[in-house]
Amino acid sequence: MASTTFRVFRFQPDSGDLESYHQDFSLDHEEKTTVLDALLRIQNEQDGTLAVRYSCRSAICGSCACKVNGKTVLACMTQVEEAKAESGSSTLQVDPIGNFAPIKDLVVDMTSFWEKFKAVKPYLIPDGPAPQKERLVPKAAMEKVAKESACILCAACYSECNSLAADPEFVGPAAFAWGYRFAADERDAQRKNRAKLYSGQHGIWDCTRCMFCNERCPKGVDPRDAIEKLGAIAFQEKVTKDKGARHAKAFLISMRTGGKLNEQLVGGLTDPVGGAFNAPLALRMLQKGKLPASPLTHRVKNRDQVTKLIKNVKETI
Amino acid sequence: MPRQFAYYPGCVAEFSSKELNATTKALAPLLDIELLPMPQATCCGAGDIAEAKPNLYLTLNVRILSEAEEMGADILTICNVCTLNLRRANKMVREDPRLLEQVNGELVNAGARPYRGTIDVTHLLWYLATEEGLSLLEQRGPKGLGGLRVAPYYGCQLLRPSSVMGFEDPDRPQSLERLITALGGEVADYDGKTRCCGFPIILAREEVALRESHVALAGARDAGAQAMVTPCPLCHLAMDAYQRKTEQLMGEEYAMPVLHLPQLIGLALGLPTQTMEFKRHFTSVDEVLQTVGA
Ligand code: SF4
Ligand code: SF4
Ligand code: FES
Repeated sequence: MASTTFRVFRFQPDSGDLESYHQDFSLDHEEKTTVLDALLRIQNEQDGTLAVRYSCRSAICGSCACKVNGKTVLACMTQVEEAKAESGSSTLQVDPIGNFAPIKDLVVDMTSFWEKFKAVKPYLIPDGPAPQKERLVPKAAMEKVAKESACILCAACYSECNSLAADPEFVGPAAFAWGYRFAADERDAQRKNRAKLYSGQHGIWDCTRCMFCNERCPKGVDPRDAIEKLGAIAFQEKVTKDKGARHAKAFLISMRTGGKLNEQLVGGLTDPVGGAFNAPLALRMLQKGKLPASPLTHRVKNRDQVTKLIKNVKETI
Repeated sequence: MPRQFAYYPGCVAEFSSKELNATTKALAPLLDIELLPMPQATCCGAGDIAEAKPNLYLTLNVRILSEAEEMGADILTICNVCTLNLRRANKMVREDPRLLEQVNGELVNAGARPYRGTIDVTHLLWYLATEEGLSLLEQRGPKGLGGLRVAPYYGCQLLRPSSVMGFEDPDRPQSLERLITALGGEVADYDGKTRCCGFPIILAREEVALRESHVALAGARDAGAQAMVTPCPLCHLAMDAYQRKTEQLMGEEYAMPVLHLPQLIGLALGLPTQTMEFKRHFTSVDEVLQTVGA
């Protein structure tokens, strides 16, 4: 038997209390108990008003995501004793997932998450009339989208997405993992349209690469990698007007000119009209010697190899 | 015998943040490190080339690894982004012999040397934050940081994804804390230390990026830090060069000096302040220098 104190986030606005707080519950439990089982026992044995969302108890439905000692996990997939050992704390603080408004205790309002999910058109849109039989797809083609197909929409990735915290309208990791899953499916005929749909404001170029989504995803979906692959699809489809895409293009040009990043080129090509490199900051950058005087600086030895690679390497995304 | 490394400072430390490169080079002999130049090494492409041309991105990074292999030395970096990209490419080809073969085919066609997969990539922070590194610092008899209260700022790409980086727990990292303490500083702890500085999108989505760096800057300030320290030149640009813009956007003041990791070590070991080129910083470090008696 083990014993644990659970410091649980409480918020019960329907009872008239609009303030949230943490409440401690002590529980004696088996060594091998999950956080979800512990919460359900607290609900059954100590406080029937505790609100927890769950369904499958086996890491499939995606409804039990919450934060345990600050880290977003699936409650049904997380052993209490392991979480204690990992965080080095005998108390487990359980909070609702981040970047969402709590409705009641650990239950959050996921409306925005579903809206964004719908907005990426998460279904196949083939061309022409449906075939007589099912559409057969070679195994290799499905392997391309196997990781992303494993997403269970638990929102663990959203919970700590840094771009989302700064901009609640960012479409975000899970929706883009689904977006890639369809954009890269050879039965789908909307590759270019999808590239356009995903490339706007709050789209793929808003991802700040904080890597929290890859770190947190309990299913190994690696949504950040899916966003990266959507960028490559945008390039293949020549959907490169967005400032984010221009920034990536500037890197390529910079690589072609000298093999290294040239700050002046990248700044100028990303946003020729103003933006971040607007006058006062650019001036101070120049004064501090933080912008090169010429776009032709930085040349690596054996640059011809780089030129050849840029010319020869084929993209297979 | 000094430990030899193939030195990959990355593009930013070679230009925009020259002070970082200069300090690292000046520090190396004091740390028993010999930094071997890599004249053929290109930019790692950051996340940008990966987002546009993933196969090219992989091949360019493997070409860099191959140059180090030819030199017979592991790679040492001083940038989070370079570390992630080089390690990621290394992991990809080491785990997939067919992919390595394919990439090597491209390299050989372009006249470059094929890669055998024998190189490790480490960051200066990781090299120094081991028992060995810390005892090396102690032997150097640091004059110390005089109790300077320093907020460690890790940023993202040196911690995550841990499957590629793997030096320490990405949620509870301790390497910077260990260094700060070993050098006679005090740690100002705060939640924002593992969050994003926003730099990757600062040119494309400035406001979103500045809102991100605000979290770390405000966190460090509220924890009573006299300075922040970072192992990444891009985080440094976001926190230092853009600090005033963030202040303007958020309507708050941070007045937070931001030190590159080698500068913090340099201060503790008594490296001349001119060598560390603090004049290239946007936010003044004068008070920091006073506190440590530099
Ligand atoms: S990508 Fe991973 S973390 Fe995000 S919703 Fe899907 S399964 Fe959950
Ligand atoms: S890498 Fe991008 S999508 Fe993933 S959590 Fe960070 S900002 Fe969000
Ligand atoms: S209860 Fe279904 S994923 Fe945890």
